[in-house]
Amino acid sequence: MIELMNNQLTFRFPEVHKKAACSIDFQRTLRIPDDNREYPLPPGLGRFPVEHVDDFANKLPDTWRTHGGVFIPMYQSEALWINFSGDYPCAIKIAAGKINAVSGEPWVNRLSDSPQDYAVIPEQPWLDGFNVSEDFIRQFVAMPLGEGFTAEEQITGKAEHGGLQIIAYPMKHDVYVEHFEPNVIIEKYIDMPMFCRETCNYEALDMGLAPGGLMRQEIYEDEYGMDAWDQDNGFRCFVHLANSEQYQMITGHRPPHKPATAKDYIEAGLPWFDYYDDSKALAGSDTLGKLTSVAAKVIEKGKGLLPDNEPVHPKTVKIISKGNVVRDGKF
Amino acid sequence: MTFGEYIREHREALKSVDRRFSVRQVAQRIGVEPAYLSKIERGDVAPPSEAKIRALAEELGQDPDVLLAMAGKVSKDLQEIIRKRPQLFADLIRQLKSAPDHALLRIARDVRDGDW
Repeated sequence: MIELMNNQLTFRFPEVHKKAACSIDFQRTLRIPDDNREYPLPPGLGRFPVEHVDDFANKLPDTWRTHGGVFIPMYQSEALWINFSGDYPCAIKIAAGKINAVSGEPWVNRLSDSPQDYAVIPEQPWLDGFNVSEDFIRQFVAMPLGEGFTAEEQITGKAEHGGLQIIAYPMKHDVYVEHFEPNVIIEKYIDMPMFCRETCNYEALDMGLAPGGLMRQEIYEDEYGMDAWDQDNGFRCFVHLANSEQYQMITGHRPPHKPATAKDYIEAGLPWFDYYDDSKALAGSDTLGKLTSVAAKVIEKGKGLLPDNEPVHPKTVKIISKGNVVRDGKF
Repeated sequence: MTFGEYIREHREALKSVDRRFSVRQVAQRIGVEPAYLSKIERGDVAPPSEAKIRALAEELGQDPDVLLAMAGKVSKDLQEIIRKRPQLFADLIRQLKSAPDHALLRIARDVRDGDW
């Protein structure tokens, strides 16, 4: 089952193993400049609020009710990153507008290894965007569906789905025991690194994710192999992106304030981050590598320049790794 | 109210606005003899199989779990769930027997996956 608590989705697979669980939340962040320069990891600025679609069913479009799942409020051009947590290995597929964010292929529930279309947690602590080339992603940036910016529209020519789609599969029971509980009769604590890119706690309705600025981030190769994942026991969730202004009308709750700009953040002397892990990174997706970024699309459409998109020069970049994983962006 | 009485009451209510809900026609649609359905409604025979109860629920617009419970049956999928962790689910159900509905709903709440 998938449980929503404290704006975090927790996927539990008790039929597979009592420890089989992982959590996903959506972090507010700076939109890095979309200027083809490479940027380090921006901070997390708190979790996006997450609501059940069923709690506001009569105020939402029919398609949202059909999809089920949850929704979060986003401003136009706002960025997010997806934060993974949990000790039990799980394979996670992420799509935006039903375009796989790792492979660029159309959505299917099953995992694929050629090319690999999923991330493995806890090895993968987060995902900030579309896998455009080895070691680089283009940041997830919310744009209204129907204006041609989103990855979905650029690849399929249609503004049909929007939102984010997630499916999680746990590691098979026997594979887990073999790797992590050999000869163990009494349950023992498995000391695996926990990742936390931690933060302060806390128009058109439908939005999709478009490729923004370029950021250094690896998506790691699955070191366990496809057969390690229990694909009979997956759970999936459709995460709709609601325009922040309409979010207030739907829920009566105020959406979070607009996040700081990258420029403001740097002027406040706050840190950016770089994450190091020696695991092998996946190649980028050719399909995703050909996408036009939001800023380039704005110019292409003759709409001038994307606001708040001046280059910035991060002065403080904190190095984080498996043993040192806080990506704290209090602002 | 017995299972048979419940079925008859709901079938008759539908029949009063739509003649397709006669004993004969409903029996035909769920694949049993009309005489057998009449006996079920009178309580002369035990409730039918899970498959037939599900077909009746579908036909009469009723919740299959409710009809199965009235018939004293537990659906196969629930049996399967309990069989995997019998002690846990037995304890859970016993402990929750007097919990109010809202508390039960809170426990059962998960993020619903739809069609996409």
